[in-house]
Amino acid sequence: MPPTGLEPARMNRKKGDKGFESPRPYKLTHQVVCINNINFQRKSVVGFVELTIFPTVANLNRIKLNSKQCRIYRVRINDLEAAFIYNDPTLEVCHSESKQRNLNYFSNAYAAAVSAVDPDAGNGELCIKVPSELWKHVDELKVLKIHINFSLDQPKGGLHFVVPSVEGSMAERGAHVFSCGYQNSTRFWFPCVDSYSELCTWKLEFTVDAAMVAVSNGDLVETVYTHDMRKKTFHYMLTIPTAASNISLAIGPFEILVDPYMHEVTHFCLPQLLPLLKHTTSYLHEVFEFYEEILTCRYPYSCFKTVFVDEAYVEVAAYASMSIFSTNLLHSAMIIDETPLTRRCLAQSLAQQFFGCFISRMSWSDEWVLKGISGYIYGLWMKKTFGVNEYRHWIKEELDKIVAYELKTGGVLLHPIFGGGKEKDNPASHLHFSIKHPHTLSWEYYTMFQCKAHLVMRLIENRISMEFMLQVFNKLLSLASTASSQKFQSHMWSQMLVSTSGFLKSISNVSGKDIQPLIKQWVDQSGVVKFYGSFAFNRKRNVLELEIKQDYTSLGTQKYVGPLKVTVQELDGSFNHTLQIEENSLKHDIPCHSKSRRNKKKKIPLMNGEEVDMDLSAMDADSPLLWIRIDPDMSVLRKVEFEQADFMWQYQLRYERDVVAQQESILALEKFPTPASRLALTDILEQEQCFYRVRMAACFCLAKIANSMVSTWTGPPAMKSLFTRMFCCKTCPNIVKTNNFMSFQSYFLQKTMPVAMALLRDVHNLCPKEVLTFILDLIKYNDNRKNKFSDNYYRAEMIDALANSVTPAVSVNNEVRTLDNLNPDVRLILEEITRFLNMEKLLPSYRHTITVSCLRAIRVLQKNGHVPSDPTLFKSYAEYGHFVDIRIAALEAVVDYTKVDRSYEELQWLLNMIQDDPVPYVRHKILNMLTKNPPFTKNMESPLCTEALVDQLWKLMNSGTSHDWRLRCGAVDLYFTLFGLSRPSCLPLPELGLVLNLKEKKAVLNPTIIPEAIAGNPEAAVNPSSHAQLVGFQNPFSSSQDEEEIDMDTVHDSQAFISHHLNMLERPSTPGLSKYRPACARPVLMPQHSPAGDCPPAAKPPWGMELARKGAGKEQTPLEMSMHPVAAAPLAVFAKEPASSKHSDHHHHHHHEHKKKKKKHKHKHKHKHKHESKEKDKEPFTFSSPASGRSVRSPSLSD
Amino acid sequence: MLQSYISEIGRSAKSYCEHTARTQPTLSDIVVTLVEMGFNVDTLPAYAKRSQRMVITAPPVTNQPVAPKALTAGQNRPHPPHIPSHFPEFPDPHTYIKTPTYREPVSDYQVLREKAASQRRDVERALTRFMAKTGETQSLFKDDVSTFPLIAARPFSIPYLTALLPSELEMQQMEETDSSEQDEQTDTENLPLHISTDDSGAEKENTSVLQQNPSLSGSRNGDENIIDNPYLRPVKKPKIRRKKSLS
Repeated sequence: MPPTGLEPARMNRKKGDKGFESPRPYKLTHQVVCINNINFQRKSVVGFVELTIFPTVANLNRIKLNSKQCRIYRVRINDLEAAFIYNDPTLEVCHSESKQRNLNYFSNAYAAAVSAVDPDAGNGELCIKVPSELWKHVDELKVLKIHINFSLDQPKGGLHFVVPSVEGSMAERGAHVFSCGYQNSTRFWFPCVDSYSELCTWKLEFTVDAAMVAVSNGDLVETVYTHDMRKKTFHYMLTIPTAASNISLAIGPFEILVDPYMHEVTHFCLPQLLPLLKHTTSYLHEVFEFYEEILTCRYPYSCFKTVFVDEAYVEVAAYASMSIFSTNLLHSAMIIDETPLTRRCLAQSLAQQFFGCFISRMSWSDEWVLKGISGYIYGLWMKKTFGVNEYRHWIKEELDKIVAYELKTGGVLLHPIFGGGKEKDNPASHLHFSIKHPHTLSWEYYTMFQCKAHLVMRLIENRISMEFMLQVFNKLLSLASTASSQKFQSHMWSQMLVSTSGFLKSISNVSGKDIQPLIKQWVDQSGVVKFYGSFAFNRKRNVLELEIKQDYTSLGTQKYVGPLKVTVQELDGSFNHTLQIEENSLKHDIPCHSKSRRNKKKKIPLMNGEEVDMDLSAMDADSPLLWIRIDPDMSVLRKVEFEQADFMWQYQLRYERDVVAQQESILALEKFPTPASRLALTDILEQEQCFYRVRMAACFCLAKIANSMVSTWTGPPAMKSLFTRMFCCKTCPNIVKTNNFMSFQSYFLQKTMPVAMALLRDVHNLCPKEVLTFILDLIKYNDNRKNKFSDNYYRAEMIDALANSVTPAVSVNNEVRTLDNLNPDVRLILEEITRFLNMEKLLPSYRHTITVSCLRAIRVLQKNGHVPSDPTLFKSYAEYGHFVDIRIAALEAVVDYTKVDRSYEELQWLLNMIQDDPVPYVRHKILNMLTKNPPFTKNMESPLCTEALVDQLWKLMNSGTSHDWRLRCGAVDLYFTLFGLSRPSCLPLPELGLVLNLKEKKAVLNPTIIPEAIAGNPEAAVNPSSHAQLVGFQNPFSSSQDEEEIDMDTVHDSQAFISHHLNMLERPSTPGLSKYRPACARPVLMPQHSPAGDCPPAAKPPWGMELARKGAGKEQTPLEMSMHPVAAAPLAVFAKEPASSKHSDHHHHHHHEHKKKKKKHKHKHKHKHKHESKEKDKEPFTFSSPASGRSVRSPSLSD
Repeated sequence: MLQSYISEIGRSAKSYCEHTARTQPTLSDIVVTLVEMGFNVDTLPAYAKRSQRMVITAPPVTNQPVAPKALTAGQNRPHPPHIPSHFPEFPDPHTYIKTPTYREPVSDYQVLREKAASQRRDVERALTRFMAKTGETQSLFKDDVSTFPLIAARPFSIPYLTALLPSELEMQQMEETDSSEQDEQTDTENLPLHISTDDSGAEKENTSVLQQNPSLSGSRNGDENIIDNPYLRPVKKPKIRRKKSLS
């Protein structure tokens, strides 16, 4: 219905304009980013940005921008020097002196810190004061040009430098740099409004070495040599309004490949990899064609670039008109396994070009729409490319993943709505992190979030049909592309932002259907549905009595009410029934169509119209039911546990044509170890037409069944004769044919079967000798000379098979493992592993798959007590300089060793690596692996669980990982796994000073303690949200303005910094601004900076800042700050002595004058206090840490 | 004395003959020699014709022992026409003719595979052991470093190259298999050379898209032969009138 599409679109547009209110008091129209020097040796970057903004409110006196890590030299607005403050509370979430070690506290503080700089709350790290000369100009809402000179030195995040240590120039060495990060992380490499909702046009200029190429967003307008001809400048223009978060950069000595099919597409890779690049990208044009066709929309940008870089942050990162990939996705034509994976990555990144880059989002809570749509169209591409089976298998896999995750952690909420921002309304209270910001999310949660988003899109498609769905997408895109070609003045750009409500409105306009219940169930609410089903056949009434129960009380579940499809396969055919699941109806009567008449030999019609002969002897004589499926189309996010007889599962496996049904039955058959199950599985294994993944799953199921039936099993070990028949020579059955992997299905089966066979066990719970010999023979006779494809994955799986065959060593009185008492079988295995591992050094395999498998196998041998447990080998493979897959495998072994042997030393080694490793992905992965396989958990006694470890981890997540959101969230996950939400049990109970520590947002005086005592409370002082209110400005005319540098290291001392730069605000802040400020106004604390104890703290007269805010009125009163003379100390002391200031003490004094807030706090505090007094009761006078001395010294405790 | 006299005659005669650039002394040479040595030559014919001269009989001819003929095997080959006939004859054929000998070929597939496999394994083991012996090693057992020696892990400065690029052996193999399967030859290798053909192919596939996007077809058709890609354009020289090339 295209004609109707247009009308509502126009209406929508108007509404859309109203719908989006920028959280910022200005609108950005254009930004210039110019990087004129990049030094690979020093890993530094120098440049400037220029932002063109239009104020949207009169009396805009300060402009907040995002910037992290950057050293800002100078800010000018319309060529006038402007004062600025750089303050980033996320650098150190809780004050370093704090003894608080409670994760709840941290998470709240962290969320507050992130929102204090969140551009979508109108905040930012960099606060620029508009010079007073321009106020009049601003009041007329005239354009402002903000020019910021900045540099970056050794960035720890945002930009990643890869500089291999070999001889030669930087270009010869293959040194390169690229932007990276999780969600909006552009602020790490240049000052900007780091939000997905602030669109503007871009001019990007990069001056690089003449041998290098700078790839960035938009069109390359020209490349110009510098005067000395040694460098060249790349000029890019991006005329499509784009959010800063979608800006990227990659510089390196890239080889350039123009796509032979589409000349506007250019591919880049590192030197020597061009042949691989040619092969890898030769497929991309088909993805383009597919998306353009289904969306009936041209690719929105005029060009597209793919860059393959080493040490990539993620495998795929999509930015406006360019994508950055991991170089490890490149492969030659000989590699089978990597090909589909790489193609998937390409397709994924292209889908995100349309939704994610071109169409951006209004706010974080609209993220699900973008991820959902891009994931959904990516799924359509999968369906077309790999077929319906693969697609359905993938959907099932994703569904299982999200169900498992939600049941474990308690739910993924796609569209969180935050009313008031108070913790009580937190929609995700079951989680140990806040879901209010993308930057506080656990990485795993975010992956699951994306997974759920595209599944929900599929549910919407089920509801409104794919045709309408694609129309909606087309509408979004065409609106956006109309808007993108308009000038800024037309105020159309917000059309390029998608919001949940806008999206839903489009759906209802296009389809005319009400999908509100669906949205309410899956988008506005977290949790999945858990069904338990069972049935009985009533012969008299010829009725199937189906009972469907739900579990909606346990974690991560919700109640489902609505239609549910049930498919019943009867003798006369397959019938769909739609049941209404209601509150109290458990039983559903379904009339059967066929009488049980099994004497007539007749073909049985299946769902797809096919008619087959079945051997019906196994079934119940009285019942016409062959099998039953609940929700066969996966149109509910659910887990179904259904009970039916084993023969029904077997029929389902053999005759149901849906791969999902086949997989479900395979899973169910594990519980029925009978000869009939064995036969059904073997038949499936042999069936060529059957989907290869089902056959692979059948292998493992067969191994399990064989193990359960071990005492009655007859014949050769499971699968052996099958494998022999399929892959071995006719004349000599013990020798495998020379490899020929032309048929991928049999290739995958050939790879999998030995791995599954190795899981077989005999009556003594050992791997049968026959199987081991068989696998060793496979390795021995493996011959790949005539094969068109590489056999590296196959050989790797053979090693996995060897590892699978290992059983625990029989240990005689705990002797030390030596060579002499080595089991002869293990000796054979070890011989193979040694040979493989050594051969890898001489003839390395693609992605070193064999080394990876060998390392895993060695760890298995160690763990089973055949080989002495020792991490040194793994540690050497984990070093920087090995291929990343090897490193990860080795680190996994070390993590496992740490757990099994409870080694403090190895844990320390891992933690050091988390902090120091040059590759961000590896750091992230170690944390991830430690979380998955923790050395201990919160309820476990472990010698590793010490106070030092708590402190170390706390430090890591508090300040050590501030340059990488993903890493910080990973550290939080680990902390949660190890210690839980509350105070770690290994810590001594809080000392006196701690008792006084008030938790987050409860900076209310303990009634028993006089106000001054509070002043010594470090936590309250660093309560991050308070930073947001610390708005002070340098005097623009202060003497040392130009030389001023704001060092990153000192920024966490920014409180001190600010205090010395505090000038009264001459103007009241705008109402617009204060509105977006976090509502929780807390006492504002001015830290006092006393360098190197120049005078005894106690003697120092307390100085502080009093912030009076009248929360009731919207108008913020001017900040009243009374300053001690000390505060007038020159700035230079603080700005230039990062080291000294870092270690010097802070004393915090504050006066709380906010009555309204106080009330609230008191209320909360009651509760809190109870909790703390409990702790106090247990052990009131624990007194151990060195910090306690410090607190005693502090004036606040002197009484 | 007689002997030295005679040899002196010979020596001098040879010198005279050589003096006149000949190799064979003639009678006149001897005459000159004798004259030089003070011998009256004229007396010589008379002396030779004296009546009571003694005649020395020739030594009896003894039958030379016949050297046993070298064992000949087969007919010596006649000279080919380009070799002058005075050259020595060819040696016996057995010294240069190769006789291909066939051992009974191992036709048993099983044995062959077995052999190939164990040979390869032995080579691999020997090679890796050698490498392990000559370089640093790691070991799984503290007490024994020789039974399962592992070549020590050595970090690379550019690890992705070895991991991603196929080894030479594999390249070789691929060429072999490729040449054997010409039909499987994909166009990926030759893409840059066949741009025009590729384009037409792409066009055909694109027709559906092109109809909806006329502008797209323009950009795709327009430059069949000249690829207009900004990254392929030449780098411009800096403009002089500008103070800086930037901003």
